[in-house]
Amino acid sequence: MTSKSSPALARLSLTSQHLSSKRLSSTRSTMSSHLLPNFDYITQGTKYTTSYENYLSNSGSIVSYFHDVPLDLDVDKHEATFICEIPRWTNGKFEINTELEGNPITQDVKDDQVRFVRNLFPYHGYIHNYGCFPQTWEDPTVKHLEWYGDNDPLDVCEVGDTVLKIGEIKRVKILGSLAMIDDGEMDWKVIVVDINDPLAKEVDDIHHLVTKRPGLLETTRQWFRDYKLPDGNPQTEFAYNGRYRNATETIEVIKECNKSWKDLIMGKKTGDDLPNIKNTAIRESPGYVERFDIKRKKYTNREAPIPEEIDKSFFISKD
Amino acid sequence: MSYTTRQVGAANTLDYKVYIEKDGKPVSPFHDIPLYANEDKTILNMIVEVPRWTNAKLEISKDQKLNPIVQDTKKGKLRFVRNCFPHHGYIHNYGAFPQTWEDPNVIHSETKAKGDNDPLDVCEIGERVANVGEVKQVKVLGVMALLDEGETDWKVIVIDVNDPLAPKLNDIEDVETHLPGLLRATNEWFRIYKIPDGKPENQFAFSGECKNKKYAEEVITECAEAWETLIKGESVDSKGIDLTNSTLTNVPTYSEASVQEIPSASPQPAAPIDKSIDKWFFISGAH
Repeated sequence: MTSKSSPALARLSLTSQHLSSKRLSSTRSTMSSHLLPNFDYITQGTKYTTSYENYLSNSGSIVSYFHDVPLDLDVDKHEATFICEIPRWTNGKFEINTELEGNPITQDVKDDQVRFVRNLFPYHGYIHNYGCFPQTWEDPTVKHLEWYGDNDPLDVCEVGDTVLKIGEIKRVKILGSLAMIDDGEMDWKVIVVDINDPLAKEVDDIHHLVTKRPGLLETTRQWFRDYKLPDGNPQTEFAYNGRYRNATETIEVIKECNKSWKDLIMGKKTGDDLPNIKNTAIRESPGYVERFDIKRKKYTNREAPIPEEIDKSFFISKD
Repeated sequence: MSYTTRQVGAANTLDYKVYIEKDGKPVSPFHDIPLYANEDKTILNMIVEVPRWTNAKLEISKDQKLNPIVQDTKKGKLRFVRNCFPHHGYIHNYGAFPQTWEDPNVIHSETKAKGDNDPLDVCEIGERVANVGEVKQVKVLGVMALLDEGETDWKVIVIDVNDPLAPKLNDIEDVETHLPGLLRATNEWFRIYKIPDGKPENQFAFSGECKNKKYAEEVITECAEAWETLIKGESVDSKGIDLTNSTLTNVPTYSEASVQEIPSASPQPAAPIDKSIDKWFFISGAH
């Protein structure tokens, strides 16, 4: 990641951080992006435990990854803003927490244990920089084809050269998507590339990856089909017979999920288990707050060891 | 086992060295650690140089006293293995057998190529990611004969005796049964791993077939004999290998004093690896 801001600006931003985040014992890492110059992240708790929280801040105030980062979908250039939740080649299932106020990135929990994706031989962890589009929502109350949405932001796989960080925000080019059906719910996987990656100049649509990244599309489909097998779950399924949707078709899906999010944030959706809609960006929305009320936690910058069993690779006989 | 490591400097820098110690005393992983870990010679010691899923080309130094593990360099720059899709870094815990040498003065009768002047390479296929400098006890399962730029470069396939799968793996065919696809992936990985550096695809002897345990044991015996000749100072050409050791009292290069010349531990956190090493190389027609 190269910083475009001058040292003086960086110092200024650091000063403002020190002044404004007194309520949180924070670790600061520079998240430089010329598109989003004032974004930064603040972590607390211990990584790989249930206490870990990674909040996004803007000019020192906490903002929501889910609601306050602009999607900025550009339908002509096929670009949007992407948030990385899980860096390539890692196993921790980190995701934007849709229930907590301020929507920090936390590690998913099942039966009180933090969750890790298992290694499916020959792959190591996730094979993309995995994350989502902000200001999108797969509506669980509305059917797409025959399936309801999974109640989460739209999932995204970034295929550029660089391994991104948890919470890193990138402007990306939209290439296509897979319509995954997970446990009876619609769970799109949109394929994108960082606009600053050398690959972005060579690909404008999904089929360009066939020659520019041989094997990637088949591998991606197989990975998503099988990645839950080690946990004893069945293979996942795909709509459209597992065929990739192209960029234009995918942009329609993104538009739809952005509209669903708008309905959600404007309070037009009712039901159980809907996401927390508190936000600091949309003044006219019912969940608008001036600032989030975030509890301070004890530790910053700590990491618990990853359980040794997560090293294991699972071997699945080829069909 | 009583082996530990003594780290000097930070990983991913030119200063980084990992010495092996036995009961706190530096020993050479090339010369001092016994090849066999039991009387029956069914369990062998292996030195881990490169943990699975990492990229730094760490190896037992041939020219430094007591042969610490260091990162290989080329033109003064640290070397990293590149990621060949769909793999990440090395796909095994990679390392070497102590007290072995692939003799560059000898042409192998079947591969028709001379040795690569290194200790015998080992791929450990257990489930746990190992640490740099770890001394593992392993059992031998088979061997592949890589022909790397005209030299024989045997890759012995082993498993840690403490791995849950170890009791079920007794010869090479058991690997395909319990770890389907692993040998094919291993073959592919060694063929293509130098292509990103602009080198041609590597070749395997025996049409890429992985030879069985018995064949592997013969290769190990040959390389152990070559090392015996080397350490006695009887090799035609010892290629400048530092033969200093701290336990082999009956060879000319034994040196009790060498232990005092080894720097004390000064471990530092790993230096960041250049982001360019993240890159995944997609090699058309590799699979």
